[in-house]
Amino acid sequence: MHPNEDTLNAYADATLDPGERAEVERHLGACAACRSLVEDLRAIVNAASTLEFRDPPVRAWARIERAIELETANDGPAKAGHHRWRWLAAAAVLVTAVGLTIGRSQFRSTMTERPTASAGGPATAAPDAAASGANADVLESEMRQAEQHYEKAIKGLEQIAKDDQGALDGRTAATLQKNLAVIDQAIGESRAAVRSQPASEPAQQSLIENFKTKLSLLEDTVALINEMRKGNEAGAARIVSDLKTKGD
Amino acid sequence: MTAAKQRPPIPFSSKQLERKPEDRRAGAPFQVGDIEAFETLYREQAPRIFSLACRMAGSTEDGEDLLQEIFLQAHRKLGGFKGESAIGTWLYRLALNHCLDYVRSRQVKMRKVTDTLDAAGSFEPLARHDTPITRLDLDRALERLPDGCREAFVLHDIEGYDHKEVGRMLGIAEGTSKSQVFKARLKLRGLLGKS
Repeated sequence: MHPNEDTLNAYADATLDPGERAEVERHLGACAACRSLVEDLRAIVNAASTLEFRDPPVRAWARIERAIELETANDGPAKAGHHRWRWLAAAAVLVTAVGLTIGRSQFRSTMTERPTASAGGPATAAPDAAASGANADVLESEMRQAEQHYEKAIKGLEQIAKDDQGALDGRTAATLQKNLAVIDQAIGESRAAVRSQPASEPAQQSLIENFKTKLSLLEDTVALINEMRKGNEAGAARIVSDLKTKGD
Repeated sequence: MTAAKQRPPIPFSSKQLERKPEDRRAGAPFQVGDIEAFETLYREQAPRIFSLACRMAGSTEDGEDLLQEIFLQAHRKLGGFKGESAIGTWLYRLALNHCLDYVRSRQVKMRKVTDTLDAAGSFEPLARHDTPITRLDLDRALERLPDGCREAFVLHDIEGYDHKEVGRMLGIAEGTSKSQVFKARLKLRGLLGKS
């Protein structure tokens, strides 16, 4: 008889008392399946316990710094020496964060609460159809709201990037513009798909993903401008390197 | 927020303390408003906090949002840090509480069952049988674990808490923590091509 899962798990964790351990080991000596399972469990436990830390993306600190500046600005008088672009950037981060949160939560709640097509059976077909129609309207309305939030956030960041693009060298600015044009095309295509099939989840997800990609690129652009203005070459180099990695 | 206040203090396991990054500000009060010092703290601690956030949330994108929220919250609360513990320990506690709040609020919002993977059937393995488990493989596989067993696995097998502590943090019984961790290991075994 095989040991139960609690026992095998405890054996893999080395938390069995000596008597129980000896009993499991006797079984393992004769059972290849349990032996293989225990070996794999131990390999997973070992890999998990030695898992390395992950480095956050380079833009993460720039986002945090700008959000702190915005909070500080709201709590008290602006400090001398702060440039207009920094305040705009901080405001844009807030808009972005709000847009992302609303878009994400609305989208998720709609996806998880949507009834399945076959739920209820034939006897409740009419109410289901009505509910499904109403749900589709809600979904479409929420999708449009999410779109508006993303568009607002994008517009704010685009304005900052446009106004302060002089801080970037010509080649970097051209590359960013080229990438933005590609993303704009993708947004246009996925938006057209959503308009023709408002209930299509892949089309909706594609549009949201493209919005996120554009926001992310604009955030990186603003972060890069920020670092260039501060004269932080190392910070700027990190962001450019990250942008190149994404572009590969 | 209420849930966070009602939760008992989070214990720190020996493994978690052993694995913390260098904490140069141990025991010293932090100068509020010193953004450069705060950036230094960020550079020292962000990888550890980001890793915890991504793994608890189950996605890099949500992990990045959590990282930002955690450091903003830390900046707001720095005035209350009296240097009674290492600042890294204080920050880790704050981060863990934030992640647990996130997990709980998501559970309420999504009413997601923990057995979705059971119903989903087979999965394409991420690695071939008998190949060593790499960090990338494991991190990718973690993202595919169902909510519930992933958090228990992260807290027990990665962060080093015992089942009693995990149960207390997640609001589940100790036995449930054991079965969730075992379930996560079995899922990972499948995802990593070990079965």
